Amino acid sequence: GRGGFGGGKKVLIEPHRHEGVFICRGKEDALVTKNMVVGDSVYGEKRIGVEEGETKIEYRAWNPFRSKLAAAILGGVDQIHIKPGAKVLYLGAASGTTVSHVSDIVGPEGLVYAVEFSHRSGRDLLNVAKKRTNIIPIIEDARHPHKYRMLVGMVDVIFADVAQPDQTRIVALNAHNFLKNGGHFVISIKANCIDSTAAPEAVFASEVKKMSAEQMKPQEQLTLEPYERDHAVVVGIYRPAPKQKK
Amino acid sequence: VKEVEEIGMLLPQVEESLLSIGKFNSIVTLVAFFPFKSAQTALENINAISEGVVHADLKLFLETNLPRSKKKKGVLGVSDAKIGAALQEEFSISIQTSGVVAEILRGVRLHFHSLVKGLTAQAASKAQLGLGHSYSRAKVKFNVNRVDNMII
Repeated sequence: GRGGFGGGKKVLIEPHRHEGVFICRGKEDALVTKNMVVGDSVYGEKRIGVEEGETKIEYRAWNPFRSKLAAAILGGVDQIHIKPGAKVLYLGAASGTTVSHVSDIVGPEGLVYAVEFSHRSGRDLLNVAKKRTNIIPIIEDARHPHKYRMLVGMVDVIFADVAQPDQTRIVALNAHNFLKNGGHFVISIKANCIDSTAAPEAVFASEVKKMSAEQMKPQEQLTLEPYERDHAVVVGIYRPAPKQKK
Repeated sequence: VKEVEEIGMLLPQVEESLLSIGKFNSIVTLVAFFPFKSAQTALENINAISEGVVHADLKLFLETNLPRSKKKKGVLGVSDAKIGAALQEEFSISIQTSGVVAEILRGVRLHFHSLVKGLTAQAASKAQLGLGHSYSRAKVKFNVNRVDNMII
């Protein structure tokens, strides 16, 4: 680590409770992930190099103010379900900042299908995906999963950060197509984007209700204070195994 | 880079049987499989699919593999209603696009690499990776002059 984190000497990397995520203990504690592409910053984030015997391992700092997933982890979410080797469908990938960390977590064994509609941020996403071979970029509208059905296999987790009024429907559509039975979903909800007039709590509650109607069983809800205002992350399971009916 | 079109026997209790490959195999049999010859044709096909257009390759594939006999009542499951309608005109065969088809296709997706001989999960993801890149790049390039309309 050149600069930052106390000169790079007195840092200690500890594994986080969530597999694939690490905590860097230095002057200040920081959330980090193991860099898949050593020597490369995706969005100008700090890197911390650690030498373990012969091999040099590099970690990238994960800013909770820029990534809702990081905010959720620091907020103490029980499960993120994104772990090494997992296949993740990421809706609303944007420029690929969080996606790059998810790709760090799942590692070379895992896969991230990153869906983003906007061409402008899609270009950045493509550049991130060029360097990280476990990201499959899909520039397409997440509302129409049938348009990219040829590209996506079954996934273990869907992460959604789409900020659309009908986002629960979008996630459900994708889940019906691509999510394994008993697979999990992690949805970030921005209350303002769904209904700016209602109270955030009411919005979250109504979204959770919508999920239950789509065979998506919410298990956990968490607000992202103090990193984001009026945001919540809902974690749940799709078609849980014991009682199957249709 | 591959695509599969599946003609399976339709059963109502598909969903439970999807979970294990053994049960799945007993209700769905892979009749025919058609690998794309090159990344180029795969790209053409995915573009056609995303637009809801029947590509020549798909037509050819169905022409060669659909059961010919008039008496046996066959139902073709198609996941996209638009393509389904186009195929219905083309082949005058009854098309089903909802319900059980989606469930079967979930199963196909889940067990894809065990259905197709000689295709490992790794190879499949490599294929997806390559195709994803070329598809997305084509998308971005296609609209190079158009400004994004941000929806806020």
